[in-house]
Amino acid sequence: MAISPSRWQRLRAELFGSRVDGLVSIALIAAMAAIATGLIKWALFQAQWAVIQANSTLFAVGRYPIEQQWRLWWLTALLAAATGLSWGLLRALPRADRSAEPWPFNDRLAVLLVLALALVVPAWLRLNLEIQGRWWGIALVLVALRWLAGRLGPQLPQPLRRLLPLIWPLLYLVGMVLISGGLGLMAVAPSDFGGLLLTLLEASFAILLCFPLGLLLALGRRSELPLLRWGAVLYIEFIRGAPLITLLFLGQNILGFLLPGGLAPDRVWRAAWVLTFFAAAYVAEALRSGLTAVPRGQLEAAQSLGLSMPQALIRVVLPQALRVALPAVVGDFITLLQDTTLLSLIGLLDLLGIARTVMANPAFLGKNAEVYLVLAVLFWCCCAALGLGSRALETRLNPNPQPAPAR
Amino acid sequence: MAASTQALMEPILEARGVQKWYPNGYHALRGVDLSVQRGEVVVIMGPSGSGKSTFIRTFNALEDFQQGSITIDGIAINEDTRNIETIRREVGMVFQQFNLFPHLSVLDNLTLAPVLVRKRPKAEVEREALALLERVGIAEQAHKFPGQLSGGQQQRVAIARSLCMEPRLMLFDEPTSALDPEMVQEVLEVMQELAAEGMTMVVVTHEVRFARQVASRVVLMAEGQVVEMAPPEQFFTRPAHPRTQQFLQQIG
Repeated sequence: MAISPSRWQRLRAELFGSRVDGLVSIALIAAMAAIATGLIKWALFQAQWAVIQANSTLFAVGRYPIEQQWRLWWLTALLAAATGLSWGLLRALPRADRSAEPWPFNDRLAVLLVLALALVVPAWLRLNLEIQGRWWGIALVLVALRWLAGRLGPQLPQPLRRLLPLIWPLLYLVGMVLISGGLGLMAVAPSDFGGLLLTLLEASFAILLCFPLGLLLALGRRSELPLLRWGAVLYIEFIRGAPLITLLFLGQNILGFLLPGGLAPDRVWRAAWVLTFFAAAYVAEALRSGLTAVPRGQLEAAQSLGLSMPQALIRVVLPQALRVALPAVVGDFITLLQDTTLLSLIGLLDLLGIARTVMANPAFLGKNAEVYLVLAVLFWCCCAALGLGSRALETRLNPNPQPAPAR
Repeated sequence: MAASTQALMEPILEARGVQKWYPNGYHALRGVDLSVQRGEVVVIMGPSGSGKSTFIRTFNALEDFQQGSITIDGIAINEDTRNIETIRREVGMVFQQFNLFPHLSVLDNLTLAPVLVRKRPKAEVEREALALLERVGIAEQAHKFPGQLSGGQQQRVAIARSLCMEPRLMLFDEPTSALDPEMVQEVLEVMQELAAEGMTMVVVTHEVRFARQVASRVVLMAEGQVVEMAPPEQFFTRPAHPRTQQFLQQIG
């Protein structure tokens, strides 16, 4: 890609506009270069990645029984398929009334990135060739389905298009069965889940459930029924006033009594519920700010047209409130994802928990830096994905497509 | 036959002794009476704070009231939510701030309520909506979003949105007060045509010319009460009440 001269000129004007600007820029660039070279030198020559390579399965799924791991491979493949399908369709079917590009970058670059990662990472982890091949296959499924969906998407009949988003909730249920067993599959005890699998499981469970719960709390807090309002305020302020770690410990002790039997049978699911209840309070506050941003006249106009309160909320108020609250809500989701690391303190083997057991292994003593760096990169990837998704959703929900501001 | 004739003779809106206190104790309406016949255009004028907006907002229960009674087309406004929703289906309202739904296209603004509330087929409603937009002169904007229209265009969309529910009574709460001066006329023209077609309307406005040309009766409200009610000719040339004379001098 050729860089237009104007971009260079702009960069020069921004970085070296005056003598002071120039000095600051040079100092900062030098500092960044020094840090980057130091890091690269360390990563390439000093760090010993054997600790990651030898434990990659542990980091990925914890102590999930080896003879059942084929289920997770299938789940990964299904996830890749659904991602490719959605990606291709979103590209092929832009909303006619919205002009904005859903992605900040050219998404062919993203395809190349996916393929490169599938080639490089498994090889770097020294996985055996068969397993490397599986990753290539999964990446190919993703890319191929993206291409296919992009081609065939516009020809899909309208009712089918509406049904397609349902593959995600369906996949979530299928995933739950694949992971924990049932319906003829051998049950795997939740205490055997670990690593990235456990982290993502807890985070996705909490994210999915805290949203509707937070919505109810936000509506309750604005309700005209005093009992409902006070209840919501009490709940939100109590949860927001307590550190998550105390709630996690508390949950391990009392959740068994509070929830009807069978809903929280063991520590993993109890922790998931605590995360859900915790995040719901924060999501409720984010949503409340969104609801406040919708002028009162919107509700009045909807009601004056004969819409009932639920209809007015669902069709008029919430779509506007959600768009305003979306960045804050996604911020809460990202915090929630990172908060899952606290699970290691109550004895669960999430990513950080696994990392601690690995680092305690005498064979890998003193390899903390390598482990923590990989952890940081993994979390960064997950959070970046959430952030990108939220930005795409925001542009897609924006009712006033503005021409890109001239810079 | 006799019964239906009688129904036609009955006023479509009957408000008796309406009193309202705001939660902070302010006595906004102090026993207001108004009766509107089918096909009438009643213009309510008055200084700000006189309770005129509050009064017409009680007609579709956007404001509650503590004493008195309001009956719309034979249905009394009371606590019953289903009663209120029935009345709101039959009564259209146009707001000072337009209150179009910014996340929906112009066409979807019009079709939302008929499809959702009246459960009518979408294609049929869309045809009608386009015809209505044609009538208010903005059919070519049907697929734009409210934020892309001028104030006058938005207010005409808002009128069309109310009409799409085929109301028997239209309420206008200062429909031109938020508009730039050059856009007032296009909205008043639409309202004038509507009146000429026989729509029953209650309009809160400061537009004297509109009141003179279109109103069947003009009402002056002050301090939460009806001060004077008269045909426009009499209201503007020979007002009976000194409060009306004072008001007309202030706006004249």
